[in-house]
Amino acid sequence: MAKVTIDDITIEVPDGTSILQAARMIDEQHGTHIAPPTMCYYSKLETSGGYCRTCIVSVTQGSEKDPRPMPKPVASCRTNVMDGMVVKNTTSPELLEARAGVVEFLLANHPLDCPICDQAGECHLQDLSYENGKEETRYEFNRRRFDPIDIGPYVKLHMNRCILCYRCVKVCDQLTDKRVHGVINRGDHSEISTYIEKAIDNDFSGNIIDVCPVGALTDRTFRFKSRVWYTNPVDAHRGCEKCSGKVRLWMKGDEVLRVTARKDQWGEAEQFICNTCRFDKKKTSDWTIEGPTKVNHHSVIAQNHDDLRKLQVGVKKQIHQLDGVKSELGKGPLDPNNI
Amino acid sequence: MERKLLLANDHIEGIHTLDVYRKHNGYTSLEKAFKTMKPDDVLEEVKKSGLRGRGGAGFPTGMKWSFLAKPEGVPRYLVCNADESEPGTFKDRYLIEHLPHLLIEGMIISSYALGANISYIYVRGEYYYLITILEKAIKEAYAAGLLGKNILGSGFDHDMYVQPGAGAYICGEETALLESLEGKRGNPRIKPPFPAVAGLWGCPTVVNNVETIAAVVPIIKDGGDAYAKIGIGKSTGTKLVSASGHINKPGVYEIEMGITVEDFIYADAFCGGIRNGKKLKAVVAGGSSVPILPAELILKTAAGEPRLMSYESLSDGGFATGTMMGSGGFIVMDEDTSVVKNLFTFARFYHHESCGQCSPCREGTGWMEKILKKFISGKATMADIDLLWDIQSKIEGKTICPLGDAAAWPVASAIRHFRSEFEEYVKHPESIHDVKHYFRLNNLEIQNA
Ligand SMILES: Cc1cc2nc3c(=O)[nH]c(=O)nc-3n(C[C@H](O)[C@H](O)[C@H](O)COP(=O)(O)O)c2cc1C
Ligand code: SF4
Ligand code: SF4
Ligand code: FES
Repeated sequence: MAKVTIDDITIEVPDGTSILQAARMIDEQHGTHIAPPTMCYYSKLETSGGYCRTCIVSVTQGSEKDPRPMPKPVASCRTNVMDGMVVKNTTSPELLEARAGVVEFLLANHPLDCPICDQAGECHLQDLSYENGKEETRYEFNRRRFDPIDIGPYVKLHMNRCILCYRCVKVCDQLTDKRVHGVINRGDHSEISTYIEKAIDNDFSGNIIDVCPVGALTDRTFRFKSRVWYTNPVDAHRGCEKCSGKVRLWMKGDEVLRVTARKDQWGEAEQFICNTCRFDKKKTSDWTIEGPTKVNHHSVIAQNHDDLRKLQVGVKKQIHQLDGVKSELGKGPLDPNNI
Repeated sequence: MERKLLLANDHIEGIHTLDVYRKHNGYTSLEKAFKTMKPDDVLEEVKKSGLRGRGGAGFPTGMKWSFLAKPEGVPRYLVCNADESEPGTFKDRYLIEHLPHLLIEGMIISSYALGANISYIYVRGEYYYLITILEKAIKEAYAAGLLGKNILGSGFDHDMYVQPGAGAYICGEETALLESLEGKRGNPRIKPPFPAVAGLWGCPTVVNNVETIAAVVPIIKDGGDAYAKIGIGKSTGTKLVSASGHINKPGVYEIEMGITVEDFIYADAFCGGIRNGKKLKAVVAGGSSVPILPAELILKTAAGEPRLMSYESLSDGGFATGTMMGSGGFIVMDEDTSVVKNLFTFARFYHHESCGQCSPCREGTGWMEKILKKFISGKATMADIDLLWDIQSKIEGKTICPLGDAAAWPVASAIRHFRSEFEEYVKHPESIHDVKHYFRLNNLEIQNA
């Protein structure tokens, strides 16, 4: 066991626990909000994490044995605790400033097309920029542009919105039986590649939609049906040969608009579900309804309307700033060609 | 002082062949090691020599070797990093081109010390002609029983392979190199684990630079102690320096560590002074990644001491007034050089070479390049100087691998020491008269923003 102190709260955790997991344990036990935000780490996907750098924390004491602080911020999702480690997250203004920098980088090339994005309302990048970013963006250049493509009948890829978290790549690597190599090209030309299209045959490929933290991979069967916050989530199950059959239905009246995995407090799928449950079972009669989803504090759907409006204001502000660079985007940020 | 341990014979006709190399005492270190020393004795000599990695970071080689995990029944690997892509650095190319057997001899001795039965030389893709040279030399070594089974009757088997890269700077980062060697996308790995524990195919691996491995040959020949006497302080031995820029005699020089920078720039044995009698303006002393220093700070430290060609002296004063030895790519700029334009070229490079895994480097490098382009097109504002500063500070130390730092440091140091030049570009955009020429030269579109 190792004793670690994060933002002045001490917890004892098994050896091999990451700083992030320890912080989440503290939040679960104390109802605090000290866990760093994550955009690429996904506890159910091996080797995930380390890419986005939003979960950075500052280690002010390395361990009991070697109390030296770590010279640079570390990715909490990929750094394990040591006995006697002291970590600062929300209590370090410098760290928060560094994180705001990471958020700004993630938004630098983001199209900010939230008003027409199916992910709006459950987008982790929206939450992240609202909670950890600055109001202004200082990026004034052309944004990266790719054409949206259909990868198979069920999934739409908007590469413009992708933050290259590699989660979908790991899903394809770890849930499908063929080796897929998901990223082509280099640097800021990197692209989630159409190799994923091949994985669409696989029964579990739809999970790339659930792991995608932004609106880069969305459900084609749900496109423009409704804003997320106008749908009601209910938990339901069915006997399924391929997966647990435990899902969340997103309903409007009696209509099932969308089926997803159940997400936990950290926005992660509790269990991955198969494509049959996700795409083919859209009738209420397909399912045994368990009852309304208990939503956690973090979710936009759970927030009251005031909060929601606040969030939209935040997003609007970013979009407003984009007006200045409209010319570079051609027809402006809401370019219909880009939908 | 000129002191030649590695390049003593580089001028000899045919030295790239085994016969000629052997005639000039080639492979005698190997014979000595295999006939009179145990693997740990070799390690001990390398430790004593104080040799530090010549790939850029200067990590003590003996220590690195002693970290190598040795679990029972698991192969170990030695990988030679010949990806040499840091702008301003071309010493490894020179060494391999002229003395391939020196590298191979060093590889076999090092592998013997590490207990590695297989080694790889990962060669930068653009150095395709070196691959032919190396493969020929390796073939000769096999034919002479210096590679293969039971080398010189020692019972030690060793196979050596050459692997070309595909033209990516990032594949010089040791873990990206290993990924590439495994046939994967050249993305740096997240550490730990370090290669010494889980490297190539998850097995314990040592990655060393070409020059580091070659230096093992003279260390075994004369002993670690003798090697440690050469040089100054913790900068032992000799160093290959790739000298380029506005000097009279660009090229690869082997120097004893501890000579003064002034000597290196002005002495006839080395760079031979600034071209066309011009004045020295600035130096990037260790390859494009290290901080640029103005003439007064590269010749003398902030304390007024002469600056020496050594790890310690070059970094004296930290980044505020010092720089780094880096990979030994010594780029000299005369009084007519534009620090801002040079920086733009560097920024383009890092943007192009970022692997794109982590957000600060992926997004930040391109952003910095775009802002610098504004400067050299006469479109920048004073606020852009501060913005550049802020962006580099938000990349540095927040990335997976040091490429992020390498992209940030040149920007930081150029602003730190040459801020007035950036301001000049803002105040007098009309003075950037040769910008069109520059853009054409570099195949760039002029920004119409
Ligand atoms: C972006 C990047 C590029 C690098 N390129 C090289 C290279 O071309 N050659 C090299 O020897 N080391 C390079 N390195 C350093 C290697 O990661 C590694 O430290 C080195 O090969 C270790 O060898 P040494 O201990 O002998 O110096 C690079 C590092 C980074 C971060
Ligand atoms: S498409 Fe989504 S899940 Fe895949 S890398 Fe991009 S942001 Fe991540
Ligand atoms: S710092 Fe740059 S090159 Fe290194 S892993 Fe991150 S994106 Fe890739
Ligand atoms: S969540 Fe840790 S780096 Fe992305």
